[in-house]
Amino acid sequence: MSASREGWRIDRGDGGYPDCLESTPHPPDILWGMGDPALLRPGLAIIGARRATPYGLSCARMFAGWAAEHGVVVISGGAVGCDRAAHEAALDAEGSTVAVLGCGPDVDYPRDSDGLMRRIRERGATLAELPWGVGPRAYHFPKRNRLIAGLAGAVLVVEAALPSGTFSTADHAIAADREVWAVPGSILYAGCRGSNTLLTQGAIPICDVTDLATALERVGLCRDKPGETPPPARVTDRLAAALLADPMRPDDAAFALRTDIVTIIRQISLLEQEGVVRRYPDGRYGALR
Amino acid sequence: MMQASVLTATLRGVEAVLVEVQADVSSGLPSFTIVGLADAAVLEARDRVRSAIRTCGFEFPSARVTVNLAPAPLRKHGTGFDLPIALALLCATRQVPTNLSGNVFAVGELGLDGSLRPVSGMLAHMLAAAGHGAPLLAPDGLESASDAVGRVSYRPVRSLSDLREGLPVEAAEGAPGRRGMPVATHGQPDLAEVAGHSAAKRALEIAATGGHNLLFVGPPGSGKTMLARRLTGILPLLGDTERLETALVHSVAGLDDAPALAGVRPFRAPHHSCSVAGLVGGGSPPRPGEISLAHNGVLFMDELPQFGPACLQALRQPLEDGHVTLVRADGRVRYPARFCLVAAMNPCPCGFHGDNDKRCTCTDTERTRYMARLGGPLIDRIDVCLRVDRVDPEVILSCPGTESTLEVGARVTQGRTFALRAGRDASCRLSGAELLRASALGRKPRAVLTGMARSYHLSGRGVTRLLRVARTIADLAESDRVESDHLLEAAAYRAWQS
Repeated sequence: MSASREGWRIDRGDGGYPDCLESTPHPPDILWGMGDPALLRPGLAIIGARRATPYGLSCARMFAGWAAEHGVVVISGGAVGCDRAAHEAALDAEGSTVAVLGCGPDVDYPRDSDGLMRRIRERGATLAELPWGVGPRAYHFPKRNRLIAGLAGAVLVVEAALPSGTFSTADHAIAADREVWAVPGSILYAGCRGSNTLLTQGAIPICDVTDLATALERVGLCRDKPGETPPPARVTDRLAAALLADPMRPDDAAFALRTDIVTIIRQISLLEQEGVVRRYPDGRYGALR
Repeated sequence: MMQASVLTATLRGVEAVLVEVQADVSSGLPSFTIVGLADAAVLEARDRVRSAIRTCGFEFPSARVTVNLAPAPLRKHGTGFDLPIALALLCATRQVPTNLSGNVFAVGELGLDGSLRPVSGMLAHMLAAAGHGAPLLAPDGLESASDAVGRVSYRPVRSLSDLREGLPVEAAEGAPGRRGMPVATHGQPDLAEVAGHSAAKRALEIAATGGHNLLFVGPPGSGKTMLARRLTGILPLLGDTERLETALVHSVAGLDDAPALAGVRPFRAPHHSCSVAGLVGGGSPPRPGEISLAHNGVLFMDELPQFGPACLQALRQPLEDGHVTLVRADGRVRYPARFCLVAAMNPCPCGFHGDNDKRCTCTDTERTRYMARLGGPLIDRIDVCLRVDRVDPEVILSCPGTESTLEVGARVTQGRTFALRAGRDASCRLSGAELLRASALGRKPRAVLTGMARSYHLSGRGVTRLLRVARTIADLAESDRVESDHLLEAAAYRAWQS
């Protein structure tokens, strides 16, 4: 057996039942969980698409990492894509994180190939309103979204399509009177339409950690100011600017910049070597994080 | 007692092993026996020989006829024994001049009417005859092969009745200058027909110059096959020894050896349902597989992960050694197999991961499992990896005329010549120490390479591969040293981590 802590069950009305859930429209009667029950306090929910772009993943990682570093519990849904990126960044920052699952809190879904769930149970907590061993079902997930929204002090949407599970979590958050924040996405990519729609509906845009810190302070989740984080390096290189704005393959970059391919390949490789861009698994080169 | 013997050969690998056909005609009950480990096709020669002898106006002896194929323990197969058996018989019964027996090499299959037809491996037989210094009696129409072999006294035979007056006349030497004449790349697809894909074309150019194995990853319909087919065109024509080596394999496999003799590099594209024996050679008698037919040319494996795991594993030894050895109960057979591997694969099971238009429906796990099918050892032998994507119609329409096969081919030849003049083998065959010496890395390039090895987590083998590709790029630039720019470009062709 792994070193994970014992599981627990909290009934509504017990001492450990989180107050924040009481204030939601339909609080669950029983909570099952594993890990540290003390983490069931208002935190920052960071959610996004499962099929995320590198942009969404790096935003999830960046904001989850900063929040966890400054003592905010990072709450997410344990799904692949943005959710996992957020959990992982929180754990990497030695912070705490809670995964709210659409299956029993002891069930590994999706298959725990990299041991992330095990690490969450050891150093954070998993939570569900489903008993032990219940497998994932499609109709569990909307309820799970309601729980994420209820537990969170504020919800940050990093990347969401329309309609999508992430978008519905944002709806639940508004119903539960929580603040909704969103990271602006590309207007050309359908996978960002949900998060951009939230912005037009009044969600607060989060464009960097300063925005995040200000917002967290306003809702009372964190009082820390962001340190002297250097602004994103000013990119004077035309190629680097193009790649950072829109990940591209060498062929497309050569066409866009009207430069011969060998020069482009060498320049991109130099940028990669200098740590300005990164090669994605699909062959595009784009922003590092 | 009447006896006679004629020389012939049986194929073993790409080599024709000398066999002496001895005929003995003695009194007794009429019979016709062939001894000496002959297979079914050789035994059937009895009926063909009997009919052919009669049809051509000779007499088949009404006596006890024994034919021995020496050395007796060697297994013989094929229909090429028809002519030597008939000839030995005719000599033994004194129906043809006796100068047709002894030091005469004969090979060919007889028809019932006495006509002669070629068998597979004629080129190998020619080499055996040339090596033995014996005149070669063989079916006609093999002039170009005999020109390629040289020093063989080829006597074309149309029918068994041609032998009534003794040795036929020697075939005239081919028109002077025919040998070694480069043939035009006609019939080969041209690189100019491919719009866009500039990175892939550059990768082809590098692979052709350094002999590197190449992997294209991309969605269906992105042009991976189209690009691969154009690699043979930009490779220089086969050299004289290469021509003979390649033609020999084709001849032994019973395929047309004329293109190889004309210097065209073979392009083999086995389907992924291919068996291990079909790919690396096998069967009984052993036949060369696709990798040997691609000797000195290009082996294209489309849908690489769809090939059976046994096939992919079987590729490793030939990729390393340049030949394949088949071990059988009756000995081992070796076929040459030095080829440039061009592999193509989809990025995921559905094929559309990272596609510009279509959406991928695979999970991360499925994708990882798909890539893992190749296995490290095979990927370790592929120097150049490249992502290929469907070309935007805008690019196709606005693209200025791209370079033709001839232009790229000229650069390839130039790069190869540069390496050769520096006394180096193709970069793909350079080992660690040679490679380091040939690269002559300065202080700055050395720092760049160390930095790359660190940030890309390259293994020792990964560093070697990168340096090899960089050496080729330097050859194309005619630079004695490998500079930072060459290393940077080479790094863009490294393999994806899982």
